[in-house]
Amino acid sequence: MNTQEYIQSGILESYVLGLASDEERREVEDMCARYPEILQSRLDFEKALEEQAFANAVQPAPNVKANMLALIANETEAPSITAKEEAPVKKMYWLRYAAAACAILLAGSVYYNIVLSDRNKALRKEYDDSVTALNNIKEDIQVLQQNNNVKMAALNGTPASPQSFTTVYWDTTSHDVYLLINNLPKPASDKQYQLWAFLDGKPVDMGLIEITDKPLQLYKCNKAQNAQGFAITLEKRGREDVSVPGGDVMVVSKL
Amino acid sequence: MNLKTTYSEEELVYLLQQRNENAFSYLYDNYSGALLGIVNGIIPDKEIANDVLQNVFVNIWRKIASYDPSKGRLFTWMLNIARNAAIDELRSKGYRDAQKNQPIGESGEVAGAVTGPAVDDVGLKKVLGNLKSDLRVLVDMSYFQGFTHEEISRALNIPLGTVKTRIRSALLQLRTMIQT
Repeated sequence: MNTQEYIQSGILESYVLGLASDEERREVEDMCARYPEILQSRLDFEKALEEQAFANAVQPAPNVKANMLALIANETEAPSITAKEEAPVKKMYWLRYAAAACAILLAGSVYYNIVLSDRNKALRKEYDDSVTALNNIKEDIQVLQQNNNVKMAALNGTPASPQSFTTVYWDTTSHDVYLLINNLPKPASDKQYQLWAFLDGKPVDMGLIEITDKPLQLYKCNKAQNAQGFAITLEKRGREDVSVPGGDVMVVSKL
Repeated sequence: MNLKTTYSEEELVYLLQQRNENAFSYLYDNYSGALLGIVNGIIPDKEIANDVLQNVFVNIWRKIASYDPSKGRLFTWMLNIARNAAIDELRSKGYRDAQKNQPIGESGEVAGAVTGPAVDDVGLKKVLGNLKSDLRVLVDMSYFQGFTHEEISRALNIPLGTVKTRIRSALLQLRTMIQT
């Protein structure tokens, strides 16, 4: 093992700065455990980075610490609701009951508000995540649309699946084919979608489609640059010969 | 009253993992400035950067049990929490909406990509200014804007392998610049 070469590869810096892939991270951790000089090089960089960060420290606003500590205190302590109510006039028992009922209602309302607020936060996060995902896709599509070599075809739903709609972008220079799943229902567990390109009027297998949470998927096919059209069929999962379509056509582009 | 004024990194980690609030207060007092500097490199707006810093420390408190010293120094771990929080903010809808009034490149270039060293850059970003422009763009997009290598490859139309090797060589150059 040439450890110097490894140290000079830049992977350690990439690891420390959080730019390494999961696979690379595991590799670096393994190498650091095995070779002390690699570990030392990583630690030296970490120290240099830390010193550099301290030399460029920025004074935080004075209220940040208190706010942060308050947030943490809220997390660790369970909300406690105590209701101590004395009836002002001894004989007016109904007032006691009313006060007790009010206290219970109040406690219930406070609790319900906490639940709602938590749910609200969870929904907010979900919403933000979705928006981020959507924006990422929009950016990807923008990049595709701005590339003059990239052609686009809309695949519209057939009578078999009128609501379905997908878009194919293909790069006539790089052979990359991007499939954007605008709307495609989740297939039954024994079924699977398959993407086809039409070449000289014949369908050519472009690959099976897994419906994941990534709406934009990349396929490589070196024949796609001459494609005259695209289609997606719904096929039986695990069939032997995937080179010819067997199932219903769900979406198809104009040829 | 806290009589102890300094902790070694091992002591600090041990106490933090025991959820010792004095140790956490010490951590804030000693590291918040350096971490805010990191956040500021990504989020130049001081007010928003301070909000992010607040979340960074809440996250540190929440995640401290999962910190593993064999995988990196405490500061490195916190630096990555800070960078991730800043990039999450950068990509949040609220931040994007707030930035809409600002001019962005019309030619479809990635918003905010550096074209040259800015005078007011500090820290790592200032060091970045010493790199050649093609490498600078790559480090800026990956480290300061959080784009994946795949996204950069697609956006700049450079092969994925080239993106990776160029970023690594840029990081090595950065290392020699800060490690004097």
